[in-house]
Amino acid sequence: MDLAQLTQDLEDLRADAVAGVDGAADVATLEALELDVLGRKGRLTSVLRGIGALPVEDRPRVGAVANAVRQAVESAIAERGTVLRAGALEARLRSEAIDVTMPGRPIRRGTLHPSIEAMSEIAAIFAQFGFVVYESPEVEDDLTNFQKLNIPPDHPARDLWDTLYVDIPGLLLRTHTSPGQIRVMESTKPPIRALLPGRCFRYEAVDASHGFEFFQVEGLMIDEGVTLGDLRGLLDQFAHAMFGAGKKTRFRPGYYPFTEPSVAFDVECLVCGGPGCAACGRSGWMTILGAGMVHPVVLQYGGLDPERYQGFAFGMGPERIKMLRHGITDLRLFLENDLRFLEQFR
Amino acid sequence: MRVPLSWLRDYVDVELTPEQLAERLTLLGMEVKGIERFGSDWQNVVVGELLSVERHPRADRLSLTRVTIGEGEPLDIVCGATNIAVGQRVPVALPGAVLPGDRRIERTEKMGVVSNGMLCSGDELRLTSDADGILILRPDAPVGSALADLYGDVVLDVDVKPNRGDALSIVGLAREVAAATGAVIRWPETDPDESGLPVENRLSVDVRDSLWCPRFVGRWIDGVSVGPSPDRIQMRLQAAGMRPISNVVDASNYVMLELGKPIHIFDASAVADGRIVVRRAVTGERLETLDHVVRDLDPETLLIADERGPLGIAGVMGGASSEVGERTTEVIVESAIFDPVAIRRTGQRYALRSEASLRFEKGQEVRLARIGADRTARLIAEWAGGHVATGRVDSAPDEPGPGEVAFRPSRVNRLLGTAFSPDEQRDLLARVGIDTRVAPVDTSIVVSNGTQPLAVPAAGADVLLAVVPTWRRDIAIEADITEEIARVRGYEHVPSTVPATPMPEFRADPLQVRDAVRETLVGAGLTESVTHALISAAQEERFRWDVDAAAVDGEERAEGRPITVTNPLSSDHAVLRQSLLHGLLSTVATNVRRGRVDIAVFEVGKGYARRSDDTAAEWWRLGIALEGAFETAAWNRPRRLADVADLVGIIAAVAQRLGLARPETVSLVDEPLLHPGRATTVVARDSDTGRIAIAGRLGELHPAVLAELDVRTERILVAEVAIRGLAGGSVPVVRSVPPPRYPAVERDIAVVADRALAADRIDATIRDAAGTLLTEATLFDVYRGAPLDVDEQSLAFRLVFQAADRTLVEDEVDAAVATVVARLVSDLGVRIRS
Repeated sequence: MDLAQLTQDLEDLRADAVAGVDGAADVATLEALELDVLGRKGRLTSVLRGIGALPVEDRPRVGAVANAVRQAVESAIAERGTVLRAGALEARLRSEAIDVTMPGRPIRRGTLHPSIEAMSEIAAIFAQFGFVVYESPEVEDDLTNFQKLNIPPDHPARDLWDTLYVDIPGLLLRTHTSPGQIRVMESTKPPIRALLPGRCFRYEAVDASHGFEFFQVEGLMIDEGVTLGDLRGLLDQFAHAMFGAGKKTRFRPGYYPFTEPSVAFDVECLVCGGPGCAACGRSGWMTILGAGMVHPVVLQYGGLDPERYQGFAFGMGPERIKMLRHGITDLRLFLENDLRFLEQFR
Repeated sequence: MRVPLSWLRDYVDVELTPEQLAERLTLLGMEVKGIERFGSDWQNVVVGELLSVERHPRADRLSLTRVTIGEGEPLDIVCGATNIAVGQRVPVALPGAVLPGDRRIERTEKMGVVSNGMLCSGDELRLTSDADGILILRPDAPVGSALADLYGDVVLDVDVKPNRGDALSIVGLAREVAAATGAVIRWPETDPDESGLPVENRLSVDVRDSLWCPRFVGRWIDGVSVGPSPDRIQMRLQAAGMRPISNVVDASNYVMLELGKPIHIFDASAVADGRIVVRRAVTGERLETLDHVVRDLDPETLLIADERGPLGIAGVMGGASSEVGERTTEVIVESAIFDPVAIRRTGQRYALRSEASLRFEKGQEVRLARIGADRTARLIAEWAGGHVATGRVDSAPDEPGPGEVAFRPSRVNRLLGTAFSPDEQRDLLARVGIDTRVAPVDTSIVVSNGTQPLAVPAAGADVLLAVVPTWRRDIAIEADITEEIARVRGYEHVPSTVPATPMPEFRADPLQVRDAVRETLVGAGLTESVTHALISAAQEERFRWDVDAAAVDGEERAEGRPITVTNPLSSDHAVLRQSLLHGLLSTVATNVRRGRVDIAVFEVGKGYARRSDDTAAEWWRLGIALEGAFETAAWNRPRRLADVADLVGIIAAVAQRLGLARPETVSLVDEPLLHPGRATTVVARDSDTGRIAIAGRLGELHPAVLAELDVRTERILVAEVAIRGLAGGSVPVVRSVPPPRYPAVERDIAVVADRALAADRIDATIRDAAGTLLTEATLFDVYRGAPLDVDEQSLAFRLVFQAADRTLVEDEVDAAVATVVARLVSDLGVRIRS
């Protein structure tokens, strides 16, 4: 082996390798080629084995040629590799294309019931004003449901609450959440800011706006200087939070035996906005709740001195609030549990 | 209360449109629920004058009339009435007219003669009750004008609250109008022209129960001729919603509507010797009431009677024997005061409630007994002729004067949050007839008037006395005066303020756990339902669990007898539920019937029962029902039916949310409502204390039970569990630990076992044997088939080992797995597949 021969072999190897690189169709071929030419047991190493037969003074020259060959092959591989990888990526992207307009895989989501949700919404608004939630029994006694609320037996106002009685003497199904007022007063001392949501029952024929089972939310605020003006202010805030900041409200006399003065609270008709329509009975107003200053007799039954403490109570129907807000026209939907109705409140 | 404005105007001038008046009354607390245009249902009905009336050539009972309506050719109209004559003015319904009841009038042919419309009776127009004759209009009724312009009225429907019996009358509402507008009231003339003999000669009254009948005033009129009331009166009564009957009876109804005083009129010939007795019934007495029902009377019934027996149930309904009829010539007017509670109870016992009894129940102004008797006698004499006997019989002629209520103007402002001066408050009260004066120094103020009245001494000079008119029986305490001041001033003058009083102490939200559970279920894809607490007795019994599940701290047990409603609306809703099952299954059924599939619903609701000590218990439960697929089908995914594992997974999610250990399940084979091979009890405990926090059962509804339901579906899965804190509690706070810093090692083992061996026994054995390094053991695959025996299955578990303080070495993991394998083989007799 002489210098010329070895140099020629290296040059041949370069030419052959570069040709192979240029002809490689994919990255795998290229990688195999790289191993074949430049690997530890590759052809370049094998050619260079002949270097030991050369005179010492020739060896650096062969080394220089070998380095040049290595660099040339490496750069050819790198260059070809870039091209091939780009092509492969492009081919993969092309092959992996899907129809992205197909519908999404459905995620099963439930919904909260609108009656309960309405109570949560009401509670959240009043929580801003320091009202905390209490609960009281649904099977209530006559004393708390009526008598302690200043509705003695045989009082004509009992006609306002047609009652379902049960087979336990003295007990009935509460006709409103108002007995909760008594239970809160009995269990805690002023300052009181209580909210009492829950199920109520009445002897009432079912139609689009009546049911024998429904929900109510009662509010109670008692302290030394709570005024009718405070009630009005709070209800205004509530109406704005629930129905919209610009909504007009109306504060007018009502009647409940357990409040004096008593209040009916209206918000401007959410359908016509005032001029009057079928939805508001042409009055331009929709009544959303009843309220008033807690009657001194009720305060006394609650264990509070009416000369010292005063305050207000209010009661509203969450379903009615929901009906007004969402344009629901039939109360019966709330207990029917037709999923096509419930799922509208996602 | 229906208030025809034309009637109201008899007593007070109204210079407002009906809408304005309605708003003023509403703002005064007399809510106007509706404004009805009476006569708006007479379309195309005009005044005509009869030009000729001839017999129909082919029908004796029909007449041929020619009627002019002013313009155009006179109309030929066939008429069946006999009370018509030339020159009369009558209502003519022209072809195209629409009458009350949506009755349409067209050109017709009657026995060969064309009729161009119809002459109307008072009944056809709902103006009077006369259906036989044509309504003869007054001679000056302008021919051609629309009837609605002449006889139409505006009727306000006023919601008079139960405390304002005084306003359940036209005069009472006129007082309210006067308060709102400042107008003056014109009181109707009440004195009758007494042309008869002294009343004592004819009538006597013996009130034997003055507690229940504090006052009885009687009048006697003879020589009356019973017939229809004047048309004008009939029209008024009709507009007010009361059917005219006869001049005598109408007089009593008229006075009831006008003054709010119920009056009863007896045919005097039916009252023995004109001697009336007011007493309680004795057992065994019977009475045929005006509705021709013979009623057995009980001793709690107050009677108007004569010596022969009962004449009527006082304040509720008269008797048939003394009813005023066509041949009546002598009448007795009864104008009495009865005990409101006695009347109310009697009305309820006999299921007889009338306009009269409703007014008695609310209490009556004593003075009205006298005024009502006088006014009725006057109207009877005016409408039915006859002679009113001189004087009245009166069981208690003394009339109480006005009451006095002391109040402090400063207290009024303190309650209202206003700054009305004392003078302004006095002026406002004067508008509703309440006079005021300065109270004597020793006056005490009635603050509360319940069973324990509270009066406080007037400390200081700031006290006024309100002199309350006798008709305002609702004003008794300072707060009543306060309301009156606010009401007359207008609630819109109460300032809208934000409370400036101290905040109460913090209180944890009792709904926290309920809300956390509800949100977890919604997140799991279930929809919340709210179903009836009242169900039928049969449903309650069918869907009650045999035995309650394990007790949960702080939650009521579901046990006791069912609570039954004694006056249910229907038998479908007569008993309080003890479980949520029936409601949930109804929800599934309703939706399946409406074409829905793949239903997943839950309810957080109450069960109820009667405890042995006659108290009522209420408990909260979570109920779940699944039908059809739990994972719905999509174009890229098959439908996966719901199964027991879904329910277990849902309960596990709830347990996770509440920071509890993984729920334990134990096969439940003897619950009749559930499939014996697909049911389990489920319990989840606190991981530290081991106390039960969730307990209940779940499974597939028994096929036999499903078959009883009218639901077209293969299977329904149900669960009901008690959860600690549902009745009011907080979600526990999670103790956080840092994530492990050293790697975990996973090992899989496949356990070949008899299919009857419960998976959780293998699971429990693995956890027990693996030692402290085991952090998870998860069943990830179940295999059945060759080469296993038919009774066998292979359960593949993935075990995860990890230490908090070091990287595990192979040897210790191998040792742990070897221990697990050995225990499985020795304890459960299974083999391990390699």
